[in-house]
Amino acid sequence: MPEQKVELFARRLDPGVQKAVHDNSAAGTLKRYSILGGDYDTPDELRRLAGQIRQHSIEHLDTYLEQAEKSLHRHGAHVHFAVTAEDACQAVSGILERAGARKVVKSKSMISEEIHLNDHLATRGIESVETDLGEYIIQIDGDHPSHIVKPIIHKNRRDIARSFEREGLGDYNDDPETITRRARSFMRRKYLEADAGITGANFVSAESGRLVLVTNEGNSRFCLAAPRVHIALVGIEKVIPSDADLAVLLNLLGRSATGQQLTVYTEFINGPALTGRPSGPREMHVIFVDNRRSEILASDCREILRCIRCGACLNVCPVYRQASGHAYRSVYPGPVGAVLSPLLAGKKFKELADLPKASSLCGACNEVCPVDIPIPDLLLKLRNRGHEEHAPSPGTPPMGAFAMLASSPLLWRAAMQGSRAMNLVPLDKLPLPYLQPWLKTRTLPEWRGGSFRRWMKSRHSR
Amino acid sequence: MSTARENIFSSIRSALAPLPSRTPRPEIPPGAAEPCWLDRSADKMALFVQRAEATGTRCFTDPSACADWLRTQNVSKVCVPGPLERLKSLCGAFAEVVDTYRRADVDDIDAAFTPAAGAIAESGSIILSDESTPDRLAALAPWHHIALVSRSEIHLTIADALAAHPDDPNVIWVTGPSKTADVEGILIQGVHGPGAQACLIV
Repeated sequence: MPEQKVELFARRLDPGVQKAVHDNSAAGTLKRYSILGGDYDTPDELRRLAGQIRQHSIEHLDTYLEQAEKSLHRHGAHVHFAVTAEDACQAVSGILERAGARKVVKSKSMISEEIHLNDHLATRGIESVETDLGEYIIQIDGDHPSHIVKPIIHKNRRDIARSFEREGLGDYNDDPETITRRARSFMRRKYLEADAGITGANFVSAESGRLVLVTNEGNSRFCLAAPRVHIALVGIEKVIPSDADLAVLLNLLGRSATGQQLTVYTEFINGPALTGRPSGPREMHVIFVDNRRSEILASDCREILRCIRCGACLNVCPVYRQASGHAYRSVYPGPVGAVLSPLLAGKKFKELADLPKASSLCGACNEVCPVDIPIPDLLLKLRNRGHEEHAPSPGTPPMGAFAMLASSPLLWRAAMQGSRAMNLVPLDKLPLPYLQPWLKTRTLPEWRGGSFRRWMKSRHSR
Repeated sequence: MSTARENIFSSIRSALAPLPSRTPRPEIPPGAAEPCWLDRSADKMALFVQRAEATGTRCFTDPSACADWLRTQNVSKVCVPGPLERLKSLCGAFAEVVDTYRRADVDDIDAAFTPAAGAIAESGSIILSDESTPDRLAALAPWHHIALVSRSEIHLTIADALAAHPDDPNVIWVTGPSKTADVEGILIQGVHGPGAQACLIV
């Protein structure tokens, strides 16, 4: 029976995992709601303002990106550009090789997942360790993050304890505090041994060149304290006009992502460490990565480039809560992923064209979005594109017969009358594979076909 | 690399060229991002202490109270930089005191004082910068970190702090101890950075 891939995934998901994903997401939504509503009389106005700032930024990307580049140069950072994922990987390994760096510590960055940086570095014989606790567990398990902010939302403490035992971080112990302490002491060695630290960036201020990095664990700070080289991978759409805009964006980011006023560490970097300081990078490289973002900018879905990766739309989405992140088969899950992933897929658009359909268009994602992205509208546009490109469409009944009926008044009238027979037929027993998934969870009201037309007629004759 | 740069800029320009109009830069009304409970006439220091404690940062105004706390924490080696003689002697009563942070001592130093560049009352954040803080690692690696915040350098809001951003290659706002909720959503403090964050207001 043809069904949507996301739905199949949800059905096969382990019930324990599903409950964990559901409960953790729902808790995230509640925390966001309570802090945003408690701190602002009109949080929606702030979201709309943030949306305008981001929309303005991406619609003036040519100006702001150039300005950011100049500001970074002025402060002694090297700026690189990469058109494709491969180019970005090459740029990173090129910098590392020139700096003689063999060991790298990495702080969480979605774009490095997008370009599969760790795999590339491994082929060059460069050791790259993920330092965010969740991302480290993903790395040792050879797994993929299932949430933008909470990468191991799909794992429980027993899974993690087994992985730590396997990696030689101590005997089996599933106490979360012990797990965290073991990661602390293991990671400490890695930071101090590393030649380079790789980070992403949450924002880049064009005016000052400052990259803004937010973390709770302090891992990105460590990546910029111990190693001598800093490489930041940044999507070109992350640029904003000035530091002043951050007041709006940072106040929304922490509250939307984790229900915090601010994340614990909010770091602003626009160059190598101050001369003479004992710690901090001597070299800073910023790689601006396109990887189809300019293509998205040219499309009618450009609003998705406003995204600040808070994960609020994942938490609130009824589909994400049931299916978890891996159902989206791409780096970005949930509602934002259902828009972004097919767009980033390029020629492989069709393979992910089912994602925009895995939505009831309930609109909750738009209501929680800190930058007010009209996600349901974008999903509809992508559904349309999928249709135009003849993407496979499992779960959608063939509409040819309906189209024929609906375009001939005579046939329509006859069908309306004839369909009264449906009241006598046990529908759930009919061998109609396309309708069965629907009918399993729905009962149709009694068929009274034609009554609307009669009513219309009586209105006209009055 | 220059060709990649040109390619990207030319793709961006051709993506934007067909737009009939572009979204203007919105004016950010003063105080737009301030929480509704914020009182502009509030005492900055009192608000800072209240917000900092709410995020898990201990606040001290008396150096000996701060030293007493470190003593109860069984701290054995403290880094106190520069000319902070009073703190050195207070901590010297129960712990070994060093005045520079050395990487070789990363496992031994369990508390460090570092001067801060300021603080933010609205969020209870401490501001560190390369200029103010002699060593990034000293403010990060020990279990206990105590920032020395000057009363006159407390900004009321995040927006105020951004407007007065120091000209420094690296500025960091620290809002509470290092934490994670990656394992089953359970909050654990002290992941990579300090498990106990404090500040001494001078």
